[in-house]
Amino acid sequence: MGVSVPDLLVDLIKTASVVVVFAYLVTRTGFFSDLLEKKPKLKSRLIAIVAFGALSIFGTYGGITLSSGAIANIRDLGPMIAGLAGGPIVGIGAGLIGGIQRYFMGGFVAVPCALATVIAGLTGGIIFIARKGTFPRVWQAALFAIGMELFHMGLTLMIARPFNDALDVVKDVVIPMSGANAAGAAIFAYIIWNLVNERRTAAEKEKYRSELERKKFEIETARQIQQSFLPESTPTLKGFDIAAFSLPALEVGGDFYDFIPISQDKWGLVIADVSGKGFPAALFMALSRTCVRANAMGKATASETIRIANNMICQDAKSGMFVTLFYAMLDVNSRQLRFVNAGHNPPLFFRGDSGDVILLGANGIALGVLDEINLEEMKINLSSNDTVVFYTDGITEAINGKEEQFGTERLIKLVSQNSQLPAQGLVDKIRNEVVTFTKGQAQFDDLTLVTLKSTR
Amino acid sequence: MDMLEKKINDIQIVTLGGRMDAYSSNDVERQLNSLIEANQVKIILDLAGLEYISSSGLRVLLAALKKSRKASGDIRLAAMRPYVKEVFDIAGFTQLFKIFNQEEEAIDSFK
Repeated sequence: MGVSVPDLLVDLIKTASVVVVFAYLVTRTGFFSDLLEKKPKLKSRLIAIVAFGALSIFGTYGGITLSSGAIANIRDLGPMIAGLAGGPIVGIGAGLIGGIQRYFMGGFVAVPCALATVIAGLTGGIIFIARKGTFPRVWQAALFAIGMELFHMGLTLMIARPFNDALDVVKDVVIPMSGANAAGAAIFAYIIWNLVNERRTAAEKEKYRSELERKKFEIETARQIQQSFLPESTPTLKGFDIAAFSLPALEVGGDFYDFIPISQDKWGLVIADVSGKGFPAALFMALSRTCVRANAMGKATASETIRIANNMICQDAKSGMFVTLFYAMLDVNSRQLRFVNAGHNPPLFFRGDSGDVILLGANGIALGVLDEINLEEMKINLSSNDTVVFYTDGITEAINGKEEQFGTERLIKLVSQNSQLPAQGLVDKIRNEVVTFTKGQAQFDDLTLVTLKSTR
Repeated sequence: MDMLEKKINDIQIVTLGGRMDAYSSNDVERQLNSLIEANQVKIILDLAGLEYISSSGLRVLLAALKKSRKASGDIRLAAMRPYVKEVFDIAGFTQLFKIFNQEEEAIDSFK
């Protein structure tokens, strides 16, 4: 029977298509995923045996008819893949289905063909064990299929009689069968590895996503903890009006302010800025705040409080981190403010009567820099309508689109023009002005602001 | 920001220009660390072109100063602009660093 080349090609494409579709569908089905796991369920194995047995039977019928009339079949393909993917039992199971079916079709090569199919499943299973369940690479699978088919041919020559007829058939089909089965095995290997890689990527993505989720949660928790380090509200002091605002550039920041009750009529006021921003600054902020708080009580002077706090901070400041800090002790009765300035931007003191502006500077140095420091302690007396504006450099160093700084001048002018506002109104006013000024720019540094007004 | 390096005898001169903020400070930190690790501990920073320094910048310089002094070296500053000088003044850092008007004076001070 003569077969034209186009017929052969159409046959080949048809068979290949069935294999591709089968491989695609089977590998995306639940039982096959289970099979690729370390310990597949019995049910998955049984389904695999039936499915690959069916592929084996299809291989018998869906073979490619050669010009000589011999059929190059791919019966061994199903059991081989079953063995490679599911181990010896699955391989032999599928092989038995394909083999027994072939046996009952009869013919003088029935026995070797049936036998070869079962052995194909067994061999796949042995390789499965040897490779600890890892499916072979594309070229390995193709090579295995070629070897298996050569073995199949050898078996045919050994068993089938008459020998010369067997030899004729073998001569005809050895190359096309090796090729067809190799191609089939390669297709399976390719699709299975695709699947394995896809899964791995998906698993990594999932891991990354959950890691990110966890980090987000931690950052949010850290932010809340840090927020709780800032006073919940400003103290209500007789004859004073106080307001405050702090906004980190990142989720957490290095700026802080604090109001510390020292005694019946004395309060400690703190504003501080840790070098840098983000988490390193936030950790150092927590340390600094605690050191200052712990030392504020029971100390007679502002300079002594901060000197000891600096000793403590220095013991933990190994990375060159430091904090600039302004600390004032406010006596509510005498209306006196005694302060030290440890390297912080001098707060602005606006006199209510004259409108003069005084910078609250004093000799000092940032904390965490030198083990022993001396801080100059200064004092001012607050009278009616006096205003003190404490701020961090995030306010004055905020830049607009033209890289101009908000600057101290602008801040002074703004406060002078709005001196009639209450403390909270003044905070809001300054914040709005800074936000408007930096419109379109990402917030670069932490912003912190405290206003203190004397109302009598 | 810009960073240039030159060497005169055993003195390393690093010229910084532009803005030394939270981000660009990291580059400076890496540079200074690699110098100190290579035992190039006599360092002069020429700040004539430095327009701005943030607290992150101060932190980097302070950390480098501590490291270099530990290795018997020093970091000396030259040609600061008034604005940068003011930032150093406020933080009290003028007490820490030896500061010179001219790069040449800083070089002489190491001799």
